[in-house]
Amino acid sequence: MRSQGVPFILPTLAFLVVLVVYPTIYLYYMIFHSFNPLYEITVRFSGLQNFSTLITDADAHYSILAMLVLMGVTVPVEIALGTLLAIFFTSPHLRGKVVLRSIMLVPLSIPAIITGLNWKMVFFTYGPLNTFLESVGLPTQPWLSAPFGNPFNTLFVLAVLDIWQWTPFVALAVASGIESVPPFVKEAAEIDGASRTQLIRHIVLPLSKTVIIIVLLLRIIDSLKIFDIIYMLTAGGPGNVTTTLPFYIYKVGFTLTAPKADIGYASLLAVVLLMIATALVLFVLTRALNVKRVIWGE
Amino acid sequence: MSRLAVTLRAVAYSLAAWIFAVLYLLPFIWMIGTSFKPIGEWGLPTLIPNEATLRNYYEILVSGGVYGVRGHFPPIIRYLVNSLTVSSVVALITSLLGALTAYGIVRFMAGGTTFANWILSLRMIPPVVILYPLVVMTKTIGLYNSIPGLILVYPVITLPITTWFMIGTFKSIPRETEEAALIDGCTHFQAFYKISLPQASIGLATSAIFAFIFSWSEFLIPLLLAPGEQAMPLTVFAGYFSNQYGILWGPLSAAAVITAVPVTVTAIIIQKYLIRGLTLGFVR
Repeated sequence: MRSQGVPFILPTLAFLVVLVVYPTIYLYYMIFHSFNPLYEITVRFSGLQNFSTLITDADAHYSILAMLVLMGVTVPVEIALGTLLAIFFTSPHLRGKVVLRSIMLVPLSIPAIITGLNWKMVFFTYGPLNTFLESVGLPTQPWLSAPFGNPFNTLFVLAVLDIWQWTPFVALAVASGIESVPPFVKEAAEIDGASRTQLIRHIVLPLSKTVIIIVLLLRIIDSLKIFDIIYMLTAGGPGNVTTTLPFYIYKVGFTLTAPKADIGYASLLAVVLLMIATALVLFVLTRALNVKRVIWGE
Repeated sequence: MSRLAVTLRAVAYSLAAWIFAVLYLLPFIWMIGTSFKPIGEWGLPTLIPNEATLRNYYEILVSGGVYGVRGHFPPIIRYLVNSLTVSSVVALITSLLGALTAYGIVRFMAGGTTFANWILSLRMIPPVVILYPLVVMTKTIGLYNSIPGLILVYPVITLPITTWFMIGTFKSIPRETEEAALIDGCTHFQAFYKISLPQASIGLATSAIFAFIFSWSEFLIPLLLAPGEQAMPLTVFAGYFSNQYGILWGPLSAAAVITAVPVTVTAIIIQKYLIRGLTLGFVR
């Protein structure tokens, strides 16, 4: 039976071999080589030089840390706020849910680069946020260089942006989890005299646990991809404060005037990111999502 | 609880929700407002322009603009056309390929769990990882900086999404009619496109829309693969514009609105399926 299905998957397989398998092999070839097209004509073998660079490169270590800090700040906040919002949005007292749902879809459907552009204007030194703060007598802030006197806070400005962008996604997904709790379960609890708080805490949330875990894992994995808003808002600055690993790969591999710019070294950094992502994905596929059961119901 | 108390509670909840929603979208509403503002009002935190004008839209779309020392810019029509072309073709190709693949996976277990897992994992790996090899590849075959080049590479992003969306769709379609068709002498492929695909048409259309949205919003791939004018999409132009003429907020906002509104409106239209698509069918 499986062989009859092969023609159906063949075109996609061919596409992905060209687009993913070949590039991955090339990536592993490049980590033992060095090449900067600005100064060199050909790729040259450099053995383990990229590895020793990686071990001593403080910027690379920092970029991994920055990526993890961004993940550690945004994901828990998004899950917590999103779940609270979902509980609120599924309240039986609320009217006009269809319109509210549509509004919640806006932040997550605007192209990330436009979100970045939008907030760049908002956060601009002479932009509307500071103009507003000034008019109500509060101190203005250099939001994109050193908010509240510390350049490192820029990382948290980015976190706020990511939270703005993705909390509605968590809220909508968890809300659909809550809505799929069968009504008779809720009715039974209500008949037994459960208050709404008890109902949510002991019935609705435990039954929505799977959805919350799936959303959590997707947010963790997607936080490794944050690029557009960094490119737009801070370009990795001030200094290298917001240069997370994906952005550092871009800097080293594609802006060839950057220090340490080298395509071989960028490939090694890419392999590091690939390994972090693969470890997370494997964890998800073996522990949380049973693909076999989802597709074939086994 | 009395009727009045219930009504009051509904009003309070709804009011809170609406105030929250408007506050949430404030930056975006402000940008839409700015896109209608004349030059003197650009930096103001007001949401509604005092003297609304369509000049920003006219300049950014049709005439281009000259702002003296602040710079001049070309109209964005060609980037709009680039975005439309690439996204439409990618949507068409990858929704069909996704449907084929999903059908093979659901009905025949083709490739087994490994293949299904692999496709899923491609949705999760950051694309920056394989971009340099893809740049080299497109340069080698002469598709760097071209629309066909983008059409070739975008499926890395869209194929996993359409495939997984169609897996969910085909799972919910009963196989009985297909089996009847097979008994009547149809081949498996005929059964697929004559019987199953028509039944999955809504799912197919939705997955095409997904592919369109994701292609339209893509920034990193075209930034590196199509930095030249010939193929540059709107998203990359928006990034370029903001670095080059960052102070021209009126036209910049208009460009941003033109880039964001088509996909945002589409997303709202297919909202019933959006969460399912974004979670690859794991949340319905």
